[in-house]
Amino acid sequence: MDDEPLIWTTKGNVPVSSLEYETKWVIAPGDFVKLVEEYRLGDEVVRSNAHVLSLRGLGSNSLVASL
Amino acid sequence: MSNTTGISGAAKQAALSAIVDGKTLKAALFLASASRGPTDATYTTTGEVSGTNYSAGGESVTNGNTAALSGTTAFWTPSASIVYTNVTLSTPFDLVMIYSTTDSNRNICTNNIGSQTITAGTLTLTMPTNDSSTGLVRFA
Repeated sequence: MDDEPLIWTTKGNVPVSSLEYETKWVIAPGDFVKLVEEYRLGDEVVRSNAHVLSLRGLGSNSLVASL
Repeated sequence: MSNTTGISGAAKQAALSAIVDGKTLKAALFLASASRGPTDATYTTTGEVSGTNYSAGGESVTNGNTAALSGTTAFWTPSASIVYTNVTLSTPFDLVMIYSTTDSNRNICTNNIGSQTITAGTLTLTMPTNDSSTGLVRFA
């Protein structure tokens, strides 16, 4: 197999090798970690993915009055 | 030992159970420019994202867990990641609302995930560990 791998983008299927691949990490301490993948063709982002790992959900404290 | 004041863990678990156990849930995305949050009683399309392969209302939430209890903290978390596949969402969004279609679209929680766009790609929301300190919804 010598077929060149393709990737689906806004420009259709293009060779992976023709794109620039960048990753960014966004960290919100205690809340989430986010990995953003961007595939660029020149200055244009033709595909991007985001993966968000929630580290902690939402807590609600309950209150009770004294009698 | 001494006597203590407080709402019982059993009551908290029952309250949480009433809104999540066995419910059909969905997860919708909202624009960063919107003003949605926990004061919204129900899901509506106001401020919701739109784009290729995104349907109003969002994606289904896998709800294989039931409200659990550890000590006096009740907790619950969806049992799988929430995935938006092959979407293009060009306007920045930053909020996910999980709501119950079983209960007239009752808003269960809104979670900020940071401003984001997606281009012909996938957004994956991986849930936290389902326990009393990190679960997605906790009544402590």
